[in-house]
Amino acid sequence: MMNNLQYFLIPFLDWHIMGLLWGGVLAGIWVGAIPGLSGTMAVSLLISFTFSWELNNALAVMCGVFVGAVYGGAITAILLNIPGAPAAIATGMDGYPLAKKGLAGKAIGLCTTVSFFASMVGVVTLAVAAPIIANFALKFSPRDFFLLAAMGILLIGSIGGGDPVKGIMAGVVGILISMVGMDPSTGELRYTFGNLNLMAGISFVTAMIGLFGVSEALTQFRDSRAKSPKQDLTKIMPDWTTFKKYLPLALRSSAIGVFIGALPGTGGDVAALLAYDQAKRTIRHPETPFGQGALEGIVAPETANKGAIGGAFIPMLTLGIPGDAITAIMIGALFIHGLRPGPMLMIETPHLFWMIVSMLTISSVALFVLGLLSVRPFSKIIEIPKSIIMPVVIILSVIGTYAIQNSVTDVFYMIGFGALGYFMRLYGYPTGPMVLGIILGPLLDSNYRRAMQGAENEIAQFIAGFFTSPISLFLTLAIAFMLFSQTKTYRKLRGID
Amino acid sequence: MKRVVGSALLFVLLAAGAAFAEYPEKPIQGYVMWGAGGALDNVSRAAAPNAADALGKSIIMQNKTGATGAIALTTVANAAADGYSILFGAENPNLYKVTGISEFDYDQFDPIILLMANVGVVVVPKDSPYKTYADLIAAAKSGKTINMGSTGPGGLPYVATNMIQKIHGVKFNLVAFDGEGPAITALMGGHIDAVAVGLLAASTYIVGDTISGLAVISPERIESVKNVPTVLEAFPGEYDSYLPWGAFFGVFVKKGTPSEAQNKLKEAFLKSYNDPRFAEFADKMGGVKLGLTGDDARKYIEQNKSVSAWLLYDAGGAKVSPEEFKIPRP
Repeated sequence: MMNNLQYFLIPFLDWHIMGLLWGGVLAGIWVGAIPGLSGTMAVSLLISFTFSWELNNALAVMCGVFVGAVYGGAITAILLNIPGAPAAIATGMDGYPLAKKGLAGKAIGLCTTVSFFASMVGVVTLAVAAPIIANFALKFSPRDFFLLAAMGILLIGSIGGGDPVKGIMAGVVGILISMVGMDPSTGELRYTFGNLNLMAGISFVTAMIGLFGVSEALTQFRDSRAKSPKQDLTKIMPDWTTFKKYLPLALRSSAIGVFIGALPGTGGDVAALLAYDQAKRTIRHPETPFGQGALEGIVAPETANKGAIGGAFIPMLTLGIPGDAITAIMIGALFIHGLRPGPMLMIETPHLFWMIVSMLTISSVALFVLGLLSVRPFSKIIEIPKSIIMPVVIILSVIGTYAIQNSVTDVFYMIGFGALGYFMRLYGYPTGPMVLGIILGPLLDSNYRRAMQGAENEIAQFIAGFFTSPISLFLTLAIAFMLFSQTKTYRKLRGID
Repeated sequence: MKRVVGSALLFVLLAAGAAFAEYPEKPIQGYVMWGAGGALDNVSRAAAPNAADALGKSIIMQNKTGATGAIALTTVANAAADGYSILFGAENPNLYKVTGISEFDYDQFDPIILLMANVGVVVVPKDSPYKTYADLIAAAKSGKTINMGSTGPGGLPYVATNMIQKIHGVKFNLVAFDGEGPAITALMGGHIDAVAVGLLAASTYIVGDTISGLAVISPERIESVKNVPTVLEAFPGEYDSYLPWGAFFGVFVKKGTPSEAQNKLKEAFLKSYNDPRFAEFADKMGGVKLGLTGDDARKYIEQNKSVSAWLLYDAGGAKVSPEEFKIPRP
């Protein structure tokens, strides 16, 4: 125990590590905020860059960038309605309306505060309950991931806005787009027309940048005469009563985040979307309705994606299984530095676990301080005339898209999605469900196939599985309830309306 | 006008200078055909920095993923054969022709070095009823349904499983995962009964005793997991025509790259390969160091191609017969 405490304190006492952590968070915030530049990309670049560094220093800068980047995505989502990272897709839905009302400072201030809180929830859970959660996460079978994805598909109702039919259509097209490329289980080519570039599939980040970034920029050009709202920056930090009001939601959403983050293969993006949906379903009377600037609509996704950071480290440090894309890259970094990430990591190198816990703690504090300090300068961005900021957004979108995998093809896809998104908006089709479809399509497709293969392609055996495994049963009931809660019968029973 | 002529002249001079300067005189682009954090990426990023030091110019690493590596391979195949675009590749291109993914494969490339091999290992959960490799095969022979993980046609698990099925005349129920890591995760959670994966993905769990290794698909035992027997110990002689077989990770340049550049690269990567840090890295990952260059490397690639292509074809996973491409049967 004393040893662990000692390991925990090392980063606090080493000014070098401390500096790298703070610098990493600051860089991460910018990387996250710029649409197209992502934490995943930054951390993979850091592997080569830190090759000759001492391991602790390399890990420090990676942890810092990770935490900063998850937070940074929210800034552009709130200010420009352009999520800087996939984990911030839900944040813009209520964040941007707030910014339009001149409340960007309040929104980012609250976002920063609850982010710090959620990130700490994740770190504490990692420190005290990592092995238990990791073993539970292993019990999730392909069938359960399928159910989780199905639950995510129901979100189309939550993020679709106005017309449900248009939302569903956009979602279905999104799922079809996600199928382009090689079939994950048989290698069969789908919708590729013999074109090698299509065989690689269409990355959802490309679609996201086009549908959210470029199409938003084009739309704002169209209404460029609208005046930018004056931002009220007198009160940034939420007071105690406000914080207390959102505490239960923050706690619930962080818990969702930690767990979804700990599941191998799902990360902050899925966590944030599920938490937003959960908030929308459980909070009946927000001060402002969801979609028009509800603060709950910021708290839920932003706490979930911060909780997912600590969550993603849980299977990584206990079992050597990555919880999301960034931890997958960090596992690679550990190998390159001569360690053996896996079940033996905690036994062979216990200090590493406590050092990472400590680095994440420091990063969370840095996030809080740097986040609050940058609210004022960031909020000014929205007051810049549209004719200046939007071209910058488009340029960054192009650079960011190219940088994902150095592919010009991706840039063309992105521009195509930008144009598509513009016309979708013009005719009242929401773009959110389409991106959701592209994100969840592969999760749905490959896990359904896997579950079927595991049931020897017997439909009866497949269906029986939903009721025989406790986790599947729970998820099935949850989905059934989510559907039932939308019916008139349920509303009558509860005496609503 | 004067300025245009001046800059044109300068350009010509520079270009001429480039032709005479010694390789390398600018940074080298390194294309990794699998994603960040994967086995190939780890091996490539472990070898590249030291090689770059030896070359005196940096190697800019980028992951260009998709179509099981065909995107990266095609990129380098379409670049100039000047040694400034190098490919960090795995065994996958050996199947591009028979699966119809691409007309390009390693025939259009010269291997600089094969760094590491990844041999197959059959693993089961810790509480599995199958204690030995013979148990597993006997159970499959008895007609019991055994759910075996896979990663889709052409992947190491798929080919290895087909090898086992063909040799012993058994049939497993294949469940496809997104990669070897997710397949092992599912194994730990008890969602599948067994999986044949590359040792690189499995060794840390075998050493950590969270899963059990039944047999390595290799003629000899592997140092990092010494207590796992080979398939030959359970079934002597039956695997002879297929072994040695395994995935590999190497560095390649387009055919036609000047031999001066090829030799420089070979020297640099051999230096990096011989660095004690690389040996430690290989051992930690559970990889088998290869260090093959020139004809030896080519021979290793061809052996893998022959085994994998024919196994895939016989299992019905290939579109075109290997015969069409004059790939000899193992």
